[in-house]
Amino acid sequence: MRRRPKTTDGDLLGGTLDMLILRTLQSGSKHGFAIARSIAERSDEVLLVEEGSLYPALHRVERRGWIRAAWGVSENNRRAKFYTLTAKGRARLAEESSRWRELAAAVARVMEPAS
Amino acid sequence: MTWHRRSALDRDRDEEFAAHLGEAIDYYKARGLSADEAARLARLRFGNPRAYREQLDELQRLPVLDVLARDVRYALRRIRQAPGFHAVIIVTLALAIGATSAVFSLADAILLRPLPLPDPDRLAVVGYQRVSASGAYTGPAVDGAMWAAVRHHARSVDAAVFIYGAPDVNFVANGTASIVRSQLVGEGYFRVLGIPPAIGREFTRAEAQPGGPAVAILSHDFWQRALQGRPDAMDQTIRLRGEPYTVVGVLPAEVPDFVDADVFTPLRAVGQGLNYRVVARLRADATRTQANAELAALGDEPFAMQRPNASVTRRLVLVDLQETLVAAAREPIVLLGWAVGAVLVIACVNIAVLLLARSATRAREIGTRMALGGSRMAVVRQLMVEAGLVAALGGAAGVFVAYAGLEGLKAIGGTTFSEWERVTLDARTVVVSFGLSVLTSLLFGLLPAWQTSRVDVQAAIAGSGSRSIAGGSRHLLRRGLVVAEVALSVVLLVGGGLLLRQLLFLQALDSGFSPANLYTTSVSLQDARYRDPAAIVRVFDASLERLDRTPGIEAAAVSQGVPYQRLLNMPFWFERQADDEPKIANIAYVTPGFFRTLGIDIVRGRGIADRDRSGTPAVVVVNEMFERMHLDGGSALGRRLRIGNSEGAGIEVVGVSRDVQQSAAGFLLTGMRRGPLLTSPTVYLPAAQGGDLLRAFAPVWTVRARSARDAAEAMSGAIAAADPLLPTGPVRSMAETASRVLAQPRLIAQLVGTLAAAALLLAAIGIYGLLAHVVSERTREFGIRLALGATTGGIVRAVALSGAALAGAGALLGIGLSFPASALIASFLPDLGTRDVPTYAGVSLTLVVIALVSSVLPALRAGRLEPVRVLREG
Repeated sequence: MRRRPKTTDGDLLGGTLDMLILRTLQSGSKHGFAIARSIAERSDEVLLVEEGSLYPALHRVERRGWIRAAWGVSENNRRAKFYTLTAKGRARLAEESSRWRELAAAVARVMEPAS
Repeated sequence: MTWHRRSALDRDRDEEFAAHLGEAIDYYKARGLSADEAARLARLRFGNPRAYREQLDELQRLPVLDVLARDVRYALRRIRQAPGFHAVIIVTLALAIGATSAVFSLADAILLRPLPLPDPDRLAVVGYQRVSASGAYTGPAVDGAMWAAVRHHARSVDAAVFIYGAPDVNFVANGTASIVRSQLVGEGYFRVLGIPPAIGREFTRAEAQPGGPAVAILSHDFWQRALQGRPDAMDQTIRLRGEPYTVVGVLPAEVPDFVDADVFTPLRAVGQGLNYRVVARLRADATRTQANAELAALGDEPFAMQRPNASVTRRLVLVDLQETLVAAAREPIVLLGWAVGAVLVIACVNIAVLLLARSATRAREIGTRMALGGSRMAVVRQLMVEAGLVAALGGAAGVFVAYAGLEGLKAIGGTTFSEWERVTLDARTVVVSFGLSVLTSLLFGLLPAWQTSRVDVQAAIAGSGSRSIAGGSRHLLRRGLVVAEVALSVVLLVGGGLLLRQLLFLQALDSGFSPANLYTTSVSLQDARYRDPAAIVRVFDASLERLDRTPGIEAAAVSQGVPYQRLLNMPFWFERQADDEPKIANIAYVTPGFFRTLGIDIVRGRGIADRDRSGTPAVVVVNEMFERMHLDGGSALGRRLRIGNSEGAGIEVVGVSRDVQQSAAGFLLTGMRRGPLLTSPTVYLPAAQGGDLLRAFAPVWTVRARSARDAAEAMSGAIAAADPLLPTGPVRSMAETASRVLAQPRLIAQLVGTLAAAALLLAAIGIYGLLAHVVSERTREFGIRLALGATTGGIVRAVALSGAALAGAGALLGIGLSFPASALIASFLPDLGTRDVPTYAGVSLTLVVIALVSSVLPALRAGRLEPVRVLREG
């Protein structure tokens, strides 16, 4: 039995889930489950969002024009909705990434005062 | 969002969720889990799909409309929870908006809206101003010299002369006679007004000279009626007053109300009397000030026909045209405007009182919502939606009331004031009164939200409300408002009461004759064939002789005017009177059957007899008022009079008749009442001796008959037999004539009375609303008092007394205000005056009763409280 997924997007820093979605879509369009898997794998199963919570977030991000949705067919031959990063979303991701790096570095400096 | 679209989105989302779970199960199975385990894990990691579905729903909605819809639903629920309270507010709003809009639509259309003429603000009437030590008087009537001076010297205005009013004249076409209204106007009258004739032209200067040709301009309507709208109307000949006139022009169909004659003929204005009016239009480059200066500079030339009088300064001035036209309609509308304004204020105050009373309960509810995490913004929004909804409902009802009210006003007032008939509801006035009411309800509806900022949330929930809210000042405000509204309604009640008492007084006056079964019709003798008085007497004799033989006709007579109408007045002198100052009396010629037909008693001497004809000694009958006014009550029998220019032995008074009510006398002597009903010193002379008097004013035929139909048939038959070309007017019963005289006072008393009743009702609601709320607020306190041994009666008395005290204070204030306010209607109260004690007593009594009823009802509720329950729950 695996660890029970305990986090929801409420536990992530505000807007972080949106950023993660954009990041996973950087490598190409994905459907919902693929996005969830991608986040879990890339974080070594640390960031386990309750997968359903992706959908309100996807909806929000789509409405802001950062991603586009279209129906397609998955590897398992299943009809699924695929999300693709838009140009606007790409720009947003770049912005978020640099802000995130600054924030992470700052948090790291506070937590581990090296010298 | 439509249902179809919404369900498509639902399907879309469900399919996406299913695909997600399918992919997850495939993934876990590929990792070696059993089908069951894979499905379980997939569901576990997905979380509760219903929760996410709801989250998506929230996101997919249009947020603003959705929140509004929720607020509206909530507001509707609140309204349903307190139906009585909201019904009262909605009815109040509807009454206020409706009454105000209806009356202001009238006022606006008649008093304020510019005349439908080009550049109406450049139009004026030339008025004749007399300034003496006793004050200034400006009238619109001028004489021939004044007109000549304006015409020849006033360069800054384009002016035209006319005679005000359009008397009935005879019109004959194709062998049938009818009565038409004919007005005399000078050259340029229609040019100055800005009404160019639709066909033909208006009068030339030559046509308006003395001795000019007989020409006529027709109204559009009359052209249609008399000439069937023939396009070749020009140069046709019509017969007016028995003489031929050539048509030179036809007016357009749309003309202002005051251009209401059927036919216009040229005015040759050279006479001495103040019989003319002058309408003037400022020329393009002139201002009103310049024109007035120019008129003032005319010096004495305009006043050559007036008797010189060193103590009076005379000048000609420009007077606003619209003001002179609407002078008669102004007073009742201004009065109504004040009354309606008062009702509107009372209604707004009432809404304020009711909403204030409720605000305590609301404060508690709002406290609860805020404690549960509602933001202040959300609460304020909610209250605004609620107030707005109530205001919208009230406003919508108000528009209906306004529409119905205006139709009602027109139905009962249209016959008295013909201008009312064309008025339609004015959108601006609806918007203004609607806005005012909405503003009031928003303002006071939001008060609870404002108050909660001063409320300790916990205390508001825990307590019964009254302990936690800054109660003192709010109570004072509410009480003040109730006192103000009671006071205002008292002012209206006093006004309505005074008008009603005046009306009752007039209706109770002794008419002096027996009006039952009397019918009258009048005939115009403005005809070339009746220049000779003897010809007129022949028509009287012939028609009366035939009427006397007609079955169903008890009696018949002809006279110059009947009771309830106005008579001519004429100066006269007594024989051997000490000075030669003339005395004045009303005068009328009558045929011998007059007194018998109308049932007017001859108290002394004899009436007019058949033997009193031309060639026999001149005689008259006078009335009792004549003796009182001119002979100090001494007997007039045997006295001799000289009337006008009469020569010789004078006219002997042979009888004295009872007084009858007239509508106006045209003069006022000490001891006489003012209209609309009065008795005046009157001289009746035999028609056969009437001379020139027979040619002034249309004669009236009167019969006493079994039915109106008998009367109409008999009169038109008899008159047609005497002269088939004489047109008869409508047949009226005497009762109708009497009710016409009192139409205006009756109308005004009805309208003001209705408004006063509405005001009283609103004030009663105000008192009731306040006390009902005080009782619910003080429930806990009353419970404690009852538990400590207070009696139910004591508490009922305390509550009722506080209501009575408010009503009393309001009544005192209102009566104080009524004295100055009733000066506004003094001109409607010629007999009663403004200090009528029974009115004040009646109003006070009414108010006491109403205040008691509206106080006792909530007080009884306080008395029914059960102490134990109150303490446990409060």
